Amino acid sequence: MIKLTGIRKAFGKNEVLKGIDLTVDKGEVVAILGPSGSGKTTLLRCINYLERPSDGEISIDEFAVNCRKPAKKDIHALRRKTAMVFQQYNLFRHKTALENVMEGLVIVKKLVKEEARRRSVELLEKVGLSDKLDAYPSQLSGGQQQRVGIARALALNPEVILFDEPTSALDPELVGEVLSVIRKIAKEGITMIIVTHEMGFAQEVANHIVFMEGGSIVEEGPPKNIFQSPREERTRQFLARFTSESSYSI
Amino acid sequence: MSLDFSFIWTAFVSLLTAVPTTLKITAVSVLCGFAIGTAIALCRMYRVPVLHRIAAAYVTVIRGTPMLTHLLILYFAIPLIVDGLAERFDWAIRSAQIPMIGFAYLSFSITAGAYLSEVVRSGLLAVSKGQMEAAHAVGMTTPQALRRIVFPQAFAAALPNLTNSVIGMLHGSTLAFTVSVVDINAQAEIVATTNWKFFEAYLAAALLFWGMTVLIERLSALLERRVTRYSRGGVA
Repeated sequence: MIKLTGIRKAFGKNEVLKGIDLTVDKGEVVAILGPSGSGKTTLLRCINYLERPSDGEISIDEFAVNCRKPAKKDIHALRRKTAMVFQQYNLFRHKTALENVMEGLVIVKKLVKEEARRRSVELLEKVGLSDKLDAYPSQLSGGQQQRVGIARALALNPEVILFDEPTSALDPELVGEVLSVIRKIAKEGITMIIVTHEMGFAQEVANHIVFMEGGSIVEEGPPKNIFQSPREERTRQFLARFTSESSYSI
Repeated sequence: MSLDFSFIWTAFVSLLTAVPTTLKITAVSVLCGFAIGTAIALCRMYRVPVLHRIAAAYVTVIRGTPMLTHLLILYFAIPLIVDGLAERFDWAIRSAQIPMIGFAYLSFSITAGAYLSEVVRSGLLAVSKGQMEAAHAVGMTTPQALRRIVFPQAFAAALPNLTNSVIGMLHGSTLAFTVSVVDINAQAEIVATTNWKFFEAYLAAALLFWGMTVLIERLSALLERRVTRYSRGGVA
C-alpha cells in the first residue's frame, strides 16, 4: 500500500502541490487526470523523489519517508521500491534495448549477467520486442522505445510503476501499441499510477481515478462514479468534452 | 642562402630522439588535466559548497594567464616553497633534485585542467537531464549514474573538443624548452647550432609536429566512430 500524506511542493513562491493525501492499495491501477499545470506530473515525480517535496510523508508498506528531513539512503530505498516510465522515454541512449533493461538488474539488483539477460529477454518478449534486443534507442520508433521503457521498469519488480504521460509524445498510430502493453501488465496485478490524458484508456484500465486541479485533488473514486456521476462541478466540466464525444459515437 | 633539403632530413632523424619527451609531457598534462578538469566540472555543475567557488576562480585565473607564465611562475615558486618547507621540517629533499621535466608536468597539468574543465562541462551539459533521472528512477546512486550513464555519453559529446585540447597541449609542450627540457623544438635548436641551419631544423620540427597531429586526428576519428556508434540510427 502506498500512502501519501500532506505532500506539498513549491517552486519558489509558486505552490504546485497544496497538501496531497492519497492512498493506493496493492494491485490498484490509479489514473491521475486533470488539466495542464494541475500538478499531476509533479505529484508523480515526488513519489520517487525526482522532485523533492517540501513537506509531507511518503510511505510504501512499512517504509516511510518524512519529506521534511529525508535521509539519502531513504531516498535511495524509495527509488528502489518504485519504477518510472517517462513521457520522453529516457532510455539510456548509449545502450541497446537489452542493455537498457539489464542495467538496473546488474547494477542495482546485483544479479549475475546471465540471469539478468535471461529476465530481460523475457520482458522484451512480453512487450513484443524480441526482434529488437540489440537495437539502440535511436534505431527504434517512439512506441518501441516506450515499450523498452516499460520493460525496464518491470524488470526492477517494483512495488509500484509510475507512468508519466506515457503516450503523450507518441503519434496516434503508436499510442495503441503502448496502451495495449500497459493494459496487459495492469491485468497482472502490478500497482500502477498513471498520469494520462487518454480518458478512454483511464476509464477502461484504472480502478481508481484521481482528478486534480490547481495542486489539489478535486475528486477521487472508482471510474464509474467519476465518469458517470461526478460530484464536483469542475470534474463535470473537465470530463464534459470527453463524455459528450463518446456519446456521439454511440 | 638556399634550402638544404638533406639537412632537413638529418635534423628530422635527430628530432625523433626528442619525441618521447614531447609525448610524455603531452600525455601527462592531458591525463592529469582531464582528471582535474572533471573534478572541477562536477564541482561547478553540482555547486558543491565552497569548492565550486574555488573551481570557478581556478578556471578564470588559469585561463586568464598564458601557459608560459604558469611555467615560469612555478619554476621560481616551487624551489622557494620546497626548500623553505624542507628547511623548516628538516626534510632531506632539495628543489635541485626535482627533474626539470617535473616543472613542465605540473605546470601544464594545471593549465590543461582549466581548459579541459570547460570541455568536460560542455560534454556533461550535452547529456539530457532525463538520462540522470532515468538512472535515479532505476535505483542507481548519483555516482553510479554518472559512471554508467552520464560519463560515457558526455565523453562521446566532448571528444571533438577534447581532441582540440590534446593537439593544443602537444603544441604547447614546446614551451618546456624555457626550463631546459629538450623537447622536439629544443632539439631542433640544438641540431641547428652545429651549422646554423635553423630554418631547416625548424621546418623538420614543423613536419614532425604536423605528422603527430594528423595521427592524433586519425585516432580521434576512429575513437569517435566507436563511442558514437549508438547515435547512428537516424532518429534523435
